[in-house]
Amino acid sequence: MLTLEGAGFTTVPSLAPLSDALAPGELVAIVGPNGAGKSTLLGLLSGFRPPEQGRVCLDARSLADWLPEALARRRALVAQQVRPSFDWTVRELVALGSEAGPAQVAESLAELDLTALAERTLTGLSGGEAQRCMVARALCQLDGGDPGSLLLLDEPTSALDIGQQQRLMRLLRRLADQRGLAVVCVLHDLNLAARYAHRVWLMQQGRRIAAGPPGEVLGAGRLAHVFGAELHEARVADGEPPALVLAR
Amino acid sequence: MIGSHSGFPDRQALNGLVLALLAAWLLAAFSGSLGLSPRLLLGDWPTPLDWQVWWQLRLPRLLLATLVGAMLAGSGAAMQGLFRNPLADPSLLGLASGAGLAVALWIVLFDASGPLGLYGQFAAGFLGALAVCLVVFRLGRGGPGQEALFTLLLAGLAINTLAGAFGGLLAFVASDEQLRQLSLWGMGSLAHALWPAALGALLCIPPALWWLCRCARGLDLLQLGELTAHGAGLDAPALKRRVVLATTLGVGVCVALAGIIGFLGLLVPHCLRLWLGPGHRLLLPASMLGGALLLLVADTLARTLASPAEIPVGLLTSLLGGPYFLWLLMQRRRSC
Repeated sequence: MLTLEGAGFTTVPSLAPLSDALAPGELVAIVGPNGAGKSTLLGLLSGFRPPEQGRVCLDARSLADWLPEALARRRALVAQQVRPSFDWTVRELVALGSEAGPAQVAESLAELDLTALAERTLTGLSGGEAQRCMVARALCQLDGGDPGSLLLLDEPTSALDIGQQQRLMRLLRRLADQRGLAVVCVLHDLNLAARYAHRVWLMQQGRRIAAGPPGEVLGAGRLAHVFGAELHEARVADGEPPALVLAR
Repeated sequence: MIGSHSGFPDRQALNGLVLALLAAWLLAAFSGSLGLSPRLLLGDWPTPLDWQVWWQLRLPRLLLATLVGAMLAGSGAAMQGLFRNPLADPSLLGLASGAGLAVALWIVLFDASGPLGLYGQFAAGFLGALAVCLVVFRLGRGGPGQEALFTLLLAGLAINTLAGAFGGLLAFVASDEQLRQLSLWGMGSLAHALWPAALGALLCIPPALWWLCRCARGLDLLQLGELTAHGAGLDAPALKRRVVLATTLGVGVCVALAGIIGFLGLLVPHCLRLWLGPGHRLLLPASMLGGALLLLVADTLARTLASPAEIPVGLLTSLLGGPYFLWLLMQRRRSC
């Protein structure tokens, strides 16, 4: 389990102290306007930027005390719009940074619909296909994902068409529900967050201003204020959070 | 490695390069102004003069060509991985000319004769290359984007120009003897390779090569960007320090020993990457073998084409590398 104990940054880009815990089997969506501190928060959760106050612990041990290789087997990260340098094949890229064998590589490729592209090089891929490769690589690094492993993703759906968005979000939800991974996903699409996340963290100006189930956090009134946008709520089905639609 | 680009098993590629290098060694060992045929050396006992030429001139020269070639190409591959940019090369980025300027300063300001002077040149070359590398590194941070690439190349151009200008000033104030020494060294040649130089290279270059090979996995991960690489367990700052120290030590020593031999670090890794894929676990040792092979062949040609005179080998590699670099830039322009 990943725990935040008053962890934050005092220097720019700053982040107000935050305390919470990410349980195995939980999918958390981080949402908020541009510059709200979503990626900064992901940097804190991944250990890339050590907290300037408080602590971030995985299994009760501070991230700074983990050996990098041991931590890499428990936590993987998909950064925003990374285009790896040089012309790797999809299979080579997915195997990068993991000790997984060919079977695990093949499984990760299959999970992201990449088997047919395995021998293609990255130059020939669309942005969305490359983005899926990076997700497959992270899964491979976690070796399928033991319960309690942490998968962090920064806008993984930004270059995907709606079909791929749905498949990816379903996969992330399945990884959380069935394999017990804790998945944290920065999303711009509030409807994806509402539809697939167990919990939503809403960020504004380097501070988490709301956290809880999507139905509680993603109200049109609050979001209109935070994003400075005019929104309507459209009822989808009983028991499901309403869809958010931009007013004309 | 899973799925190398050519479908060629890793070991087979490395074995092929080792065999080619051995063949080039044999060829180089018995060609030159003084024809030393294998029969002369192995069958009929060589004359003392033959033996002296072979032992005191040719063998250290072959050793030096092998080590310098391996180091320049290996450090080219490592720098391209470090900067995440296929155009990074010790001579293009100004590392070699920075080292060259420091060595020239050493020659002019201190007594550079004798073994102590030679090892002083090593230290000067290392420090010159290190200083340039730190400057370039600060300027070129920011990944493989076009802007970072132009900054890198412009920084290299500026440093090369500055080093050239200061080199000219040094030549202006140097004594006749120092001027002779400077011009002989500056042409990029292995013609003055004797045992002290070869032993110095043996002491410094293999550890640097070994150290670079140990960075292969880290360099692979770095291609994912620093954030993702950190997530995959890479200590990027430590990797950068290791690569910078190994390349600057190696390039500094190479420049101190053989002057500036351009384009090897660009040409060899680039060709091998097309053949073997971008994975550094294979690319680094293959580049080292390929660089050794290319410089050995180029040096043999330099010794024999205009025999008994010699063409500076740096001239040959630049004649080969310059057009290749232009072709590379055109390819990139087309792909953009």
